[in-house]
Amino acid sequence: MKKILVLSLLAVFGVYLLEVLFKIDFGHQFFLHGVKDFYLTTSPDKMGVANVVTAIVVNFRGFDTLGEVTVLFLATTAMSSILYKGRHQLGERAVLFSSSRIVMTGSKLLFPAIILLGAYVFIHGHLTPGGGFQGGVIIATGFLLMLLSYEDYKVSHVALSLVESLAGITFASVGLLGFLNGGTFLQNFLPTGGLNNLISGGVIPIIYIAVGFKVGAELTGLIYTALNEKD
Amino acid sequence: MVGTPVLFIAIPLLAAFLIPLLGFVWKESVRILPGLVLLYLLYLAVNLMGQVAHSGTIVEVIAGWAPPWGINLVFSPLTGLLTTLMILMGFIIWIYSYRFKNIDFREAVKYFILLLMMITGSVGIVLTGDIFNQFVFIEITSISAYALTAFYKGRDSAEASFKYLIIGSLSSMFLLLAIVLIYSQLGTLNMADIADKAHLMKPGFKILALIFFITGLGIEAEIFPLNGWTPDAYAQAPGPVGAAFSGIVVKAGVYAMIRVIFTLFDVSGTHQFLIIIGMITLIIAEMAAVKQDRLKRMLAYSSIGQMGLVIVAFGIGTEEGVFAALFLMLNHAIIKSLLFLSGSYLVYNSTEKYIHETDGLAKHLPITSFLFALGAIAIVGMPPFAGFWSKWSILSAAAHSNMILVIVLILSVSIIELVYYFRVVNRIYFFPKQKEVEPKRPTINALIAMSILGILILVIGFYPDSVTGYLHSASQSLLEKGKYIQDVLSTGQLFIQ
Amino acid sequence: MEFKLFDLSIVEYAFFITAVLIILIGLYGALVKKTLIKIVIGLSVLDAGINLLLISVGYVKSGTAPIFSPALIKDMPLTLENIKKLSEGMVDPVPQALVLTAIVIGFGVTAVALSLVIRLYRHHHTLNIDEIKNLKW
Repeated sequence: MKKILVLSLLAVFGVYLLEVLFKIDFGHQFFLHGVKDFYLTTSPDKMGVANVVTAIVVNFRGFDTLGEVTVLFLATTAMSSILYKGRHQLGERAVLFSSSRIVMTGSKLLFPAIILLGAYVFIHGHLTPGGGFQGGVIIATGFLLMLLSYEDYKVSHVALSLVESLAGITFASVGLLGFLNGGTFLQNFLPTGGLNNLISGGVIPIIYIAVGFKVGAELTGLIYTALNEKD
Repeated sequence: MVGTPVLFIAIPLLAAFLIPLLGFVWKESVRILPGLVLLYLLYLAVNLMGQVAHSGTIVEVIAGWAPPWGINLVFSPLTGLLTTLMILMGFIIWIYSYRFKNIDFREAVKYFILLLMMITGSVGIVLTGDIFNQFVFIEITSISAYALTAFYKGRDSAEASFKYLIIGSLSSMFLLLAIVLIYSQLGTLNMADIADKAHLMKPGFKILALIFFITGLGIEAEIFPLNGWTPDAYAQAPGPVGAAFSGIVVKAGVYAMIRVIFTLFDVSGTHQFLIIIGMITLIIAEMAAVKQDRLKRMLAYSSIGQMGLVIVAFGIGTEEGVFAALFLMLNHAIIKSLLFLSGSYLVYNSTEKYIHETDGLAKHLPITSFLFALGAIAIVGMPPFAGFWSKWSILSAAAHSNMILVIVLILSVSIIELVYYFRVVNRIYFFPKQKEVEPKRPTINALIAMSILGILILVIGFYPDSVTGYLHSASQSLLEKGKYIQDVLSTGQLFIQ
Repeated sequence: MEFKLFDLSIVEYAFFITAVLIILIGLYGALVKKTLIKIVIGLSVLDAGINLLLISVGYVKSGTAPIFSPALIKDMPLTLENIKKLSEGMVDPVPQALVLTAIVIGFGVTAVALSLVIRLYRHHHTLNIDEIKNLKW
């Protein structure tokens, strides 16, 4: 009975939402004074950043990204706070299945390559698709692979929180350094360099590398906390 | 120049990232640092308030891009007042929880990070001038709130938190949908820019976006029927966190909703809708509060009821009504926090937190009981305490708008309120103490925190003029929509590197 | 463009229809399902639907990715006119940036939700919501 009620409510909601959405001219943005054109021209022209999405994420809407990094930081803090069992009751790793020698050797071979790929993605965030978040996630998958294939693989909590904190402090301090020369928070204070050069875009690569480290450390921490949960 | 509004966000974030590092070096710093940060921010807020009173709204651009391209922070009389209030409450709650329940070091790290971030998120919701940025801050606030609700390891706290999380994330999805609808029409996310161009939206989009906004923000503002999480979360969360919910988080939610309704869209009929939904919230919550036999649940329902009253006062829509609503928000933040903080010592050692366990505690905990009674008298609106002035201004605002029904309902609800608060005070003072109850003496820092709140109640009660000036300019700044748009969009020169 | 029945223009709106369907599936999962994990999955599905909707709002027909790569610029001198000309053929970058943020936030919420589920399971040894109800809903 409840199902039918919910289904009919959802149907009404969906039809109404679609009816409104159908008024959008799909594929043609008709608004004239939106912010998009400014971003598309300013980013390559004035900031020396080829990837406009990166320019928006790190600079135009960099404050959002600072908040987003904080959300991840809070998620790790919240998860370890919620699962905390007291000082003397730290759980052991849950072992789902033990892996064969082939898997273990294979992951050992793949691990450095994965880390390298992740680092490549976040270092080139301002030139190619991808960036700090994507690169960080790739790095975390490398650690996930190692954690899954080695039963006794350990990640140091101290190292993780050190990387996490230092990367966060880097982001916030680069933001505060924007106040130099009478600027504003997060404002670029470095030379922008040429378009499509590796060293270009001012502070953007610095911030994105910090984000990459932070996201990698945080996701690894999340996986590790969850895996240590054994009942 | 003492600083700029962005420091309200940047400094706490820096501190939150630093806390785990400092913990390796000196363990006590984990508890001290948030207090120092909040004290500095309080100093900054008071200074900036003075600056705003002199030279008008401060609009700060971030990353050097003027609105609508970059994100901006608006420190107007209204947002400044709320920021100051939130940081003051945050500081008092920090004093209270400095030695709270002797949690061990690793828990303390998490507790103080989460508490600091919850305050920062709420301040961010109030200060930001960008709807997507506001969404990010709402998520920061909510995630910390979920984790703090589940802070005690009892089984019910996880359930209360899960319930809060489900309702909370459903609502934030609606918020995101509203942002999608607005972006698809206007191509901008800046609040002033949206307010300026709102008439360009095709019919249908505006009303749907407004509905999604109210659904999305109503959860933090505790309006009916989105407040199912409230009593459980308040009852299960640690005492200071309950105080922070009612003193800080709810205020941010109400502000966000009011900003959307007053500035972003003025759809006709919204004010009437606010009055109706506020009255329903008020009546249902107060009826539920009478039936509660647990102290914190009763306080939670009372908190919902007061928020309903705030919504009604905003719905009246006149300058007087907005003034009354802001006054009530201020009073409610102070009084309800005092009630939560003193109340959690009254039921300190109890697992079920029943009201009858507070019987006769006045002899054992004289100061705590006195402060609880002071809060109870103030919140029901007895003259000459703080709550009286706000209730009086709501009634007179309603009278000037000829809303007789509203007046009658508010007065009759006040009687219900009187009944259930005095039932508790009566038990504390005149009932014999139950044998198995072991009263717990408040620590010195908790006493300081509660006394500050008590003194604030008395000061506002006897000298309401000390705050009404700020409240009047705040309510004017909310109603002057054109000035807000002009202030933000004329921030003018674009900084190009 | 108004939608008419039996009109091929419905194909144009396939993104919107899919997104709304995913949103509805997610809402159904979050509201009706009785298992904690399924509720969390419902929330994630809902999140994915909204992200799809957001990204399709920014689509421009036959647009390219908003990246001024060497392959796109070729030998053109980078004057403002050339940049403007190139940018006309690009999709809207703003929704992509917003989706990136929204995904990360959704991830954070999911992580917290799953850790709460672990806590609940530790206490009750069940994931069925009917057997956990200690508090009134």
